[in-house]
Amino acid sequence: MTYNTDQATEQKLQQLLERLDDASQQLQDAADFAKPGKLPRVLDTARRVLLQEGGCAALEARSQQLEAAGIFAGADWENPQILVPSLSSHSLQSPDSNLVVIEALSELRLLAVALNSYTHPLISAEQAHHYLTQVMAINLALLFTPPSEAERETQGRLAQVPRSLFKHLAERIGYEHIIDQLIDEIWRILRQRPIQVEPVKRMVTQIAICQQDPNIDLGGSGQGADRLVSSLYGTTQACREDPGVEVYLDRLTSMDNKALQSEATGFARAMHDTGLVSPYHAVLLHHLLEVEDYLITEALGLSSTGRDCFMCYRQLTLTLIRKALHPATAQGIYGLALLLERGILYQPPVAPALWRQLGLKLSAWSKERLTLAFGAQVTPEARLLEGVLCILGQPLGVGQGNNPTCQSARALSMWAYNDPDYLLQMLAWAARDDEIIMHFEGQPISSMESVSGVAKELPVDLDPVSLLVVPHLDRIYAEMGRRCIGREGDPHRWVNPEFHGWWSGRGFRINVDVATGQLHELDGFLRSFYACYHPYYNGNQPLIHPQPAGIAITDSAARFIGWHAITLLRVALDPEEVMRVYFYNPNNDSGQNWGDSVVVSTSDKGERFGESSLPFTQFASRLYIFHHDPLEGGEADEVPHEELEEVKGYMERSWGADRQASDSPLQATDR
Amino acid sequence: MTTNDKGYIALLGWSLNAVEAAAKFDRRYLVVAPEWAEEYCQKHDIPYLAWNFERLNDRSMEIAEKLKDMGVDVAVPLYEETVEWAGAINAVLMDNPRLLGQSMLMRDKSLMKRRAQLGGIRVGIFEEAHDREDVVRFLRRVNQTLLKLDGDPNDPIHFKAFDKAGCLGHRVIRTPDDVDSIPEEEFPALMESHLDGWEFAVEAWIHKGKIVFLNISEYVTLGYSVYVPASPELEAYRPQITQQIEKLIKAFDIEFGLIHPEYFVTSDDEMYFGEVAYRPPGFKVFELLEKVYGFNAYQATMLVFDPKATTEEVKAFFPTPVKDAKGYAGCFGVYPRRRVVSKLEIPEETEDHPYFDSHELTAPLEETVTKRTAFGTHWGLIYFTGQDAKTMHELLKRQEDLDFYI
Repeated sequence: MTYNTDQATEQKLQQLLERLDDASQQLQDAADFAKPGKLPRVLDTARRVLLQEGGCAALEARSQQLEAAGIFAGADWENPQILVPSLSSHSLQSPDSNLVVIEALSELRLLAVALNSYTHPLISAEQAHHYLTQVMAINLALLFTPPSEAERETQGRLAQVPRSLFKHLAERIGYEHIIDQLIDEIWRILRQRPIQVEPVKRMVTQIAICQQDPNIDLGGSGQGADRLVSSLYGTTQACREDPGVEVYLDRLTSMDNKALQSEATGFARAMHDTGLVSPYHAVLLHHLLEVEDYLITEALGLSSTGRDCFMCYRQLTLTLIRKALHPATAQGIYGLALLLERGILYQPPVAPALWRQLGLKLSAWSKERLTLAFGAQVTPEARLLEGVLCILGQPLGVGQGNNPTCQSARALSMWAYNDPDYLLQMLAWAARDDEIIMHFEGQPISSMESVSGVAKELPVDLDPVSLLVVPHLDRIYAEMGRRCIGREGDPHRWVNPEFHGWWSGRGFRINVDVATGQLHELDGFLRSFYACYHPYYNGNQPLIHPQPAGIAITDSAARFIGWHAITLLRVALDPEEVMRVYFYNPNNDSGQNWGDSVVVSTSDKGERFGESSLPFTQFASRLYIFHHDPLEGGEADEVPHEELEEVKGYMERSWGADRQASDSPLQATDR
Repeated sequence: MTTNDKGYIALLGWSLNAVEAAAKFDRRYLVVAPEWAEEYCQKHDIPYLAWNFERLNDRSMEIAEKLKDMGVDVAVPLYEETVEWAGAINAVLMDNPRLLGQSMLMRDKSLMKRRAQLGGIRVGIFEEAHDREDVVRFLRRVNQTLLKLDGDPNDPIHFKAFDKAGCLGHRVIRTPDDVDSIPEEEFPALMESHLDGWEFAVEAWIHKGKIVFLNISEYVTLGYSVYVPASPELEAYRPQITQQIEKLIKAFDIEFGLIHPEYFVTSDDEMYFGEVAYRPPGFKVFELLEKVYGFNAYQATMLVFDPKATTEEVKAFFPTPVKDAKGYAGCFGVYPRRRVVSKLEIPEETEDHPYFDSHELTAPLEETVTKRTAFGTHWGLIYFTGQDAKTMHELLKRQEDLDFYI
């Protein structure tokens, strides 16, 4: 039986390969002007080959031919030496099959290069190897897990392609190489304390599986995995061997307080160390509800600040634990601990708002969305509560997912940071009433009456709070923008303060002329930024409220990609006495290389969890919009000329390269 | 490798596939197309001359003389609207005034049918319509002739614009109500009785008055799908079909060119002439021919038009029909079956079929789908190749029941 199906699949593959070879030959033979018309057939046939058993290997063998035929011509993949591994995820998860296929073919080509069967003029075997291990580490979910709900929604059958690709890559490159890279990658992500840890948990789970599988030879790799694996599956003495929830509960019932204390501190340490919470932790917590308050605070790993907060709001905290924190929603434990440590319960509206959240009646639509995105393991109410605890505990851990909604993500983060009661109110309106009304210059804007937002489809890959609130915010934000049509200048000037909050400065500076896209008034812009934000020039005033800002994102070749919304959090000296800007980037993974040696740091430079940082001059070079209080300002004239020249240098070598206005000081003086 | 003992050929109208073929061929060529093609041709070094093909007017002498001065030997029409231009131009280039008249014949469905009838070719009942009453009368008469009683469903009649290509402007009229929906601008037009039979098309290349290659294209459903070569069942009619084409050549006095006639074979084995076009067929039949025979049909057309082409050269170019075909190639024109669509999704059974070759479908630009008023207005083609005619036939038929846009 298997023999026949093997034969049939082999035959099918052969037939497809014949078609592919024919199509690529036609592409190769076509005159330049006729090539675009020939490309779709090559890509579509390649896609079908990728879906077959043995297809990846066949394409790997053909990669030199395919490249010579011109499949990458005129696109980024034509220059493999500057490809960015993190962008591969976006392509591979795209609903556009051409994008998925080209990315897959590019990786297979680099595989051939890495294995020395294809000598490429632009990239060496080592470089290709290094690139591929990074790509695999970043996309490891695609290697080990079946398509998620979100992927199935967007890609349908196409979701199988990256999986076949990665399986092939892993087999050819060897699991040992991947695992170490992966572990580094996981730590790097966890250090930013994202609130969506599902992808990371999946990766950790897969490492655990790999370690157990006798067929996979990990060689000497996987050393740093233990801390990660144990943080989820074998955190403490009593659950060391991952016995399962029932067995663990059983063991707890026969423990005295001393043993329970040991368990509690074990979990707390692991949690605060990694940012990941084990499901067993929730089992313990529930058990401790019937034992002693003190042990609960131990299990949460609270300092005196957190303990005091807990004592003052004991009833609330215990109810939150009871209602929100189950093995399936254990991550909320970390959120709760940090929430208590932040002391936000001391703000008068927060506790009553949380009581409201506990009793909030979710609309049918909200329940549906939550179940669609997260499944039905726990009630949608519990899932949402977990989300609330996480977002209030880790305001900088919000991510925008694979959606163009950075402004909305930023807003949620800012409110969680600065205005938690406001956030809870927004959530109540969205989750219960399916509508949010905000005001723009005195006029109400309803999220239900507004036409459409920036995102074309409802996002699915978000945390529970974002899932419910972002669609409303997105529509309102777009509507605010629409109401600014016809005004001169960039609409953020009016939209940002109304959208984010009263504390967003009404003073507005932009260094790009909206109509022409050229840089303008650069000197004034930079001096103003220094005067408002840099401690040496603003009277040593720390930033009071986080401020929205706009930056020009550039790739690792310093080329302009697009505008992006971020939050300015603080400006301070790092451990090496370099003045840095610390900011929040809603972009899920903030460790980015922006080209020209501008590499965003997320740890080791004095960052708090979730912050990104850059030296002041480098940050300023990517800035295009900022807000300030027009009544406050420092010594703009004191800023030294050399410092500004340094900033302009970074700008000129990157996104400012082709934006010099004719009267710009950056223009070369010899004409 | 272009030399002066091969012709210099003007291609009338813009077709990327034709240009690609000409660029790869072995003789000089020139693209004559409207101004919007200029930039592209300049960018890609394609020999080009700008010309606006509106209704044939007194400027036709201008273009003909211009081409004559350039040394062009012949003009090949690529689209229906360029056929009379080719006639006018070639009348000058070849010093043969009758070519113009012949091209006018090819452009008027009514005149064409009359001429065919005069040449002893069977045609159905046809008439010209100038207003809606004509249509209603014709509908009634045709059905009377067919001895229909009151209450029997009408046999439909076909309502066609005189000079549109293929299925454009082709309506099927069944009841007087259908007549009311015909807008004024579509008159005058041609009406034909319905011919019940097997409809098929032919592509015939003619050189020095003789057929040098004859292809029979089999329609699975008119306006939806076609494949080449025809099934063995239809191919069985080849001798008869060849005879009919020879009659056609005689009736229309054709010395050279590519004709694309349509015929019906009725249940009593009689062959009825539908219409003939003097330009390449739609539904990418040329591309299908290349898939099975390996020769490029655009080049073939240029060849037979070329007055400098020799009989030997032409003979050597063409393969033997059916015998030299490496299987069957077919295509299906996709039109959404639903009224509101949001995305393209090729059905798994289509894509996984070993005969599936490729497609030209793109994501929908709009969500609402206009009602299909005419055949042939599809949203893109999908292509199949395979070894068995019956499988191909059934596969193409099956596509009609599938949703490609959902």
